[in-house]
Amino acid sequence: MDIIDGSESVSITGIRNWILLLLIFSVITVIGNYVGYHHPMGESLVGMLILSGLTLIAMLLERYVPLNISSIVYVSLLGLILSLPMMPTSGFIVYYVSKIELLAIVTVFLAYVGIGMGKNWDQFKKIGWRGAIVTVAVITGTYLGSVIIAHIVLTLTGVSI
Amino acid sequence: MISENNSDSVEETNRFRHKTDKTILKKKPWKSYKLHLTVLALVIIAELIGPIKVPITSNIELSAMPLLWAMLGGLFLYLFKPAKFITRKQARIAEGAMLLFIGPLLCKLAISSGQSIDVLFKVGPALILQEAGNLGTIFLALPIALVLGFKREAIGMTNSIGREPNVAVVIDKFGFDSPETRGVLTVFLIGTVIGTLYISFLSSFCVSVLPFHPYAFAMGSGVGSASMNAAALAPLLAMFPDISTNIEAFSGFSNLISFCIGIYVCIFIAIPLTQKLYEILEPKIGRNPKDSQKEGE
Repeated sequence: MDIIDGSESVSITGIRNWILLLLIFSVITVIGNYVGYHHPMGESLVGMLILSGLTLIAMLLERYVPLNISSIVYVSLLGLILSLPMMPTSGFIVYYVSKIELLAIVTVFLAYVGIGMGKNWDQFKKIGWRGAIVTVAVITGTYLGSVIIAHIVLTLTGVSI
Repeated sequence: MISENNSDSVEETNRFRHKTDKTILKKKPWKSYKLHLTVLALVIIAELIGPIKVPITSNIELSAMPLLWAMLGGLFLYLFKPAKFITRKQARIAEGAMLLFIGPLLCKLAISSGQSIDVLFKVGPALILQEAGNLGTIFLALPIALVLGFKREAIGMTNSIGREPNVAVVIDKFGFDSPETRGVLTVFLIGTVIGTLYISFLSSFCVSVLPFHPYAFAMGSGVGSASMNAAALAPLLAMFPDISTNIEAFSGFSNLISFCIGIYVCIFIAIPLTQKLYEILEPKIGRNPKDSQKEGE
């Protein structure tokens, strides 16, 4: 495996495929956002294009900056920094992105996840119930541990809603 | 040693990325238009059904959001094949596309974080310290795994929530053919299939039963993968629509922290702690090895 693996396969076609997929995703989300939450389509499309654009930049940064930082981290940092109140980009980005409900994005995302995870179903059945019980315990323990500590620290530091 | 460990595990993470690249860069996305139209139909149906609240007792109710309908619909289409064109190939494209679509999802969360940065600073200590809460899984899940007859697999299974970065760390530390790796891959796979569904009900249940701070639930929902994060967040957003931006901000930031420092918590604290606890507990509550080999494969 190369040090910056993946970069060799990013051709013009690759980038075009990313852009097309992000556009398809944006359009579906905008329709879902309209059906479920009645946000105007034009404004939420601008919001989705902002999110898609930042995603694209993050994907390219991941492959061309030789730092081994995942695009997930890049996209989070980009979104965070560009929407800080002191940034000139903040007003524009926050206005349009607020027209898209997080849950509308998630619904589209999970529809793809649902189809994709069907593939793992047979393997899943093979592992059996004991693995499933442990997995449920793992998720419960992590979630509750995190919630309980957060609640204690929030209470101690006196944070109200 | 630290940096060496790190670069190795990041390389493991890259392997997942490599797979994605291969799938979505070679296939022309418009050729699978049937897949995208199917998703569009699923989304419209899911949004039209809307959220459904299921009362369990007078003051406990579980809420199921449209995102669950969309996901279950997708799974149903794949498993029962009412539409012939949803095949294994389509599933692979969906899986590849999904890894790209995490981007806009996390970006939306990050923008919520950015606009409420002052609140984030105010709750900074809670955000950082709750990461230690992830160790809770060891105390809850390790004894259960041992009682069920798992041996060294249990160390891989229960040291963390078992998403991509954790899988990478375990493979890096124990090698690909070790029981520990088999364990973490088991949890990874099952978590992929039922994790999102389960955490959505868990969060829905906890939010209505436990009298905790809504921000604490928001931070807790950031523990797993992006889709688990979103599924755990949905019931909370439905219950507290007025503070939704803050809730998104905490959850997104908690997820980012899990991703950035979670890997170090896993390497330096979680795995050694799990091994220690395993040595103590295994002779006491572990079952005999023959049992575990029968089903443990």
